[in-house]
Amino acid sequence: MKVTLNWLKEYVAFDGSPEQLADRLTMLGLEVEGARKLGGEFDGIVVAQVLTCDPHPNADKLSLCRVNDGRGERQIVCGAKNFKVGDKVPLILPGATLPAKPGEAPLTIKVGRIRGVESHGMLCSPRELGLAAEGDGLLILPADAQVGQPFAEHLGRAGSDTVYDLEITPNRPDLNSVIGIAREIAAVTGEALRVPEASLPPSAFRVDDLVAVRLEDPERCPRYTARVVRGVKVGPSPDWLRVALEKVGLRSINNVVDVTNYVMLETGQPLHAFDYHRVAKGTGGKPTLVVRRARAGEKFVTLDGLERGLAEEMLLIADEQKGIALAGVMGGQNTEINERTTDVLLESAYFQPTNIRRTAKTLGLRTDASYRFERGADVGICDWASRRCVELILQVAGGQAADGIVDTYPRPVEPREITLRHAKVNQMLGLALRPEEIEYHLGQLGLKVSGRVARPVEAAPEAPPSVTVRVPSFRVDLKREIDLIEEVARLHGVERIPATPPRGAVGANAYDAVHDQLTEARRLLAGLGLGEAQGQTLVSKADCKAAGAGLVALANPLSADMDVLRPSLLPGLLAALRHNARHQITEVALFEIGRVFSQAPEAGPARRADKAGGPPREARRLAIALTGRRQPLFWNGTEREAKFDWYDLRGLLEEFLDQFGLRGVTFVRAAEASAIYAESAAVQLGGKLWLGELGQLSPLVARDYDLRQPVMLAELDFDQLLARRNPAKAFKPLPVFPGVRRDLAMMVPEATTHEAVLQAVRQAKAPHLEAVELFDVFRGQNLPAGRKSVAYAFTYRHGERTLTDAEVNAAHEKIVAELKQRLQAVVRE
Amino acid sequence: MMSLLDQIDPLRQAALADLSGAADLAALERAKGNWIGPHGQFTALLKQLGALSKEERPVAGKQLNQAKTELETALAERRRALELAAAAPKEPTDFTLPGRRRPLGKLHPLTQVTEDIVRSFRRIGFAVADGPEIEDDYHCFDALNTPADHPARDTHDTFYLEAAGAAPGSTPGRPLLLRTHTTSVQVRVLESQRPPVRVVVPGRVYRRDNADATHNPTFQQIDGVYVDRDVTVGDLKGTVEFVFKDLLGSDVKIRFRPHYFSYTEPSFEIDFSSALTRKMGKDWLEIAGCGMIHPQVFENVGYDPEAWTGWAFGFGIERIAMIRYGVNDIRLFYEGDLRFLRQF
Repeated sequence: MKVTLNWLKEYVAFDGSPEQLADRLTMLGLEVEGARKLGGEFDGIVVAQVLTCDPHPNADKLSLCRVNDGRGERQIVCGAKNFKVGDKVPLILPGATLPAKPGEAPLTIKVGRIRGVESHGMLCSPRELGLAAEGDGLLILPADAQVGQPFAEHLGRAGSDTVYDLEITPNRPDLNSVIGIAREIAAVTGEALRVPEASLPPSAFRVDDLVAVRLEDPERCPRYTARVVRGVKVGPSPDWLRVALEKVGLRSINNVVDVTNYVMLETGQPLHAFDYHRVAKGTGGKPTLVVRRARAGEKFVTLDGLERGLAEEMLLIADEQKGIALAGVMGGQNTEINERTTDVLLESAYFQPTNIRRTAKTLGLRTDASYRFERGADVGICDWASRRCVELILQVAGGQAADGIVDTYPRPVEPREITLRHAKVNQMLGLALRPEEIEYHLGQLGLKVSGRVARPVEAAPEAPPSVTVRVPSFRVDLKREIDLIEEVARLHGVERIPATPPRGAVGANAYDAVHDQLTEARRLLAGLGLGEAQGQTLVSKADCKAAGAGLVALANPLSADMDVLRPSLLPGLLAALRHNARHQITEVALFEIGRVFSQAPEAGPARRADKAGGPPREARRLAIALTGRRQPLFWNGTEREAKFDWYDLRGLLEEFLDQFGLRGVTFVRAAEASAIYAESAAVQLGGKLWLGELGQLSPLVARDYDLRQPVMLAELDFDQLLARRNPAKAFKPLPVFPGVRRDLAMMVPEATTHEAVLQAVRQAKAPHLEAVELFDVFRGQNLPAGRKSVAYAFTYRHGERTLTDAEVNAAHEKIVAELKQRLQAVVRE
Repeated sequence: MMSLLDQIDPLRQAALADLSGAADLAALERAKGNWIGPHGQFTALLKQLGALSKEERPVAGKQLNQAKTELETALAERRRALELAAAAPKEPTDFTLPGRRRPLGKLHPLTQVTEDIVRSFRRIGFAVADGPEIEDDYHCFDALNTPADHPARDTHDTFYLEAAGAAPGSTPGRPLLLRTHTTSVQVRVLESQRPPVRVVVPGRVYRRDNADATHNPTFQQIDGVYVDRDVTVGDLKGTVEFVFKDLLGSDVKIRFRPHYFSYTEPSFEIDFSSALTRKMGKDWLEIAGCGMIHPQVFENVGYDPEAWTGWAFGFGIERIAMIRYGVNDIRLFYEGDLRFLRQF
């Protein structure tokens, strides 16, 4: 809502600066989103009167004056000679700027010292003011000039103004009007609110004889009023009206239409003017306005010239033959006011908000009128606003108003009554307001305070003193006690409520511990050198091909780029890799912990055929993507160009899972790799439970993302990690006796896995074996085809004594024998 | 044959020359063996001491001992010099060359900001709570006193799922949507916990806005809720001031402005002012919304609004991060661009 300072001042006095008003409004809950000064001519120049004039102590040609600027006295150093004590002259105040002369920079006046004496402003000559080309003496104003008056006003020229752009919250439709905003200012400053009375001169003819109203749908239109003005002269609006509208961004159309818009802005009540003679006459020889629902398939041409197909629930204003206005939204072209209009039929009504919102939305037609009706207009001001509108029509377009009003209002709304307990106000706000203070604030807002119940002597002791207020019809937002408490808080001033330090109960929630575990995981992964990414939740169906069925789709996506909820974190990480690659960043190591969404039933043998049947599920995942050089660029060494490979990814996960408290994790070749991988392994816990999958990105998918280097990916079920982790730590005494190491190099078939070796070692049940570590895998010329050489280090240790060579040899022999027997291992010497 | 006394000095001279002249540690070891090892020439001389007469022995003994100490000192000095020389790198070290960096991963800036906010709240006794991102319209709107025809519920502003039905914990048959604020979790917490309640709720939320510098369909919020007996607007102000000063520095000024939210009454917007906002050319910058929980919301979750009062407030995490770090485009948070992520 745009409103100007000068317009507001027509209804309420305000002494402060435009900035002070902006602060006041903001602190009342009317946020000032913008304030634009409309530069008036001669800003900062006022009429002043010379009180004394003495010679300057340090300069012969200057004099030292005291002047009255209407607010107080000022000392001015002046060079002119053509004035005398008592003269009235223009005074420019410090901070103001003289009108720029062609080819010169504008001069801003400051408080300055002239020959050692301070001058608080400057008395102006006609030339300095740009009023004349010549003349160095002061401009001497007539004796009746009003001291303190802005110079522009004195000259009868446009003064400055400020246009505020206010954010009106949807609960306060009454503030979509200049008077509504003025009422708030009056409430908080205590100044009187001056609302126009809107009285009309008596007339020789009555409105009842000129128009009738038939209300067919009182639910959608609880009140409909009509007035008639005859003999108007439609033409351009006078300057004051045109300028008032233009300042707040409305275009001037003609004097009659402009008045309806002006009064809408002034009062908040949308009004519509019909050309009386273009409304068809009905029975009784006078037009009948019918408020009815549109018929299915009915067409209607609105003021903007567009033909609209209407639906049955839309409300139409019609005569007996045709629709003439789309109720509460826009008038019709067929009854539009034009330069030939002589008689005006004026509508002022109240329409049900929901219906107006639906109609405006369905037709994609939002107007100032529909905006106000859909937020809730004031059913109580239809008559007064109509009267005010007619008053101004008579003023700017002439004519004669018919006596009276046709007011169809079958079920007048009773004012709401709300009881407010004073103690509740203080309890809620943390204040100790007296009942009179509370009631004063409510009264200031136009709420009628009655039924004050002081504690009756015989009443139960807990009966609280309370007061009952009647809510005026424009405050549709005040419904219950708490709404009144908010009003008290606003008018008392939130800034005056003392802040109390945090206190009270200690919070508890089951998720609290989970949050810490998420944080812990993120920190571990960052410590392992992975950067944290956060991808979009909304992704495209096309990017989720690999995820298979069970996508959760949006019913109303913004675009095909974002039409499903991510079923996996991997598409997001791949998108991040692509983004980085496009910016020549080819070394990327990222992780994300986040939620994924699916609709498939739980995995397992019971997987049902209907893929979209299950309820949507949310699950947490951890995903990792590695690509490019494993180490930052370095300037020598054979490994410096090494790229991330499977073993980097696996090693990273091993360290993470170990530190996160998951033990007994195994990695096995996935029987059926997901389509996103070229090959992959399943991560399992305890040999059975599926924790996730990791592997190398499929070249087919890599092509889709324009990724040229190998990409290693992993995605784990984070909820399972949380459920299965055992972060408990227990101290194991440090070994006292030395361990003995035995190395073993052996040749095994290519297909023999590390896991198979470990299994054979476990089978051997060698005593005192503490650790087995693989330290070399070798394939090469000296080996027969289909064979590889593997080398392991075995550590043996006893907790209570030093092992003898014989003991170690015996244990080691058991292992060697087992390996030879189970794996056809050939020990290399 | 030369007398023993006469042999001491020539042998001492030769041994000193040999030890001091050893070119490397191996040569030094050889020289040591030659002279003062068990079979060394100087050792042999010592062995002859017993054969001397009583008169000669003290003189020769003294000389031999002096010479031996001298040789051992020479050996130790030469060894030290050769060991130091052996340890010296073959090529000179350029201390200005870059080292092998071990890069640390960085937490996402939104994670960092969330952690900071959560830490502040926890200092004053809040627990962290969580809830589903797929919500039903009851928990997102109705329970929060948002009227049935409120524009926020519009398909224009809110993402709805194709599937209606039952997400876990939601009411069957209700339309499913992506929550538009973390305030929906407030309802779930109040439904499942008895007062007093003191939680803070960070999480992702969704609005149907096209992505631009200040909008992303996905963004993150944090809500704080406190319900107890006799909670007042003063408490709300005190806590908000505490958290924002903790978060943005003790020099910030906080201002409460009346506003409107359907689920709080009275409602306020919170502005802050600091050196940062002044640098941005603004006295006040809007940062959060808050208010006293509406009695209707209490009634909806089965709390007696006469017995309990409480406040709630919420704000955008990206907004805080953008202000704190001077980030000018919200989309940067979601691109995974390492040049961006490594800055925090």
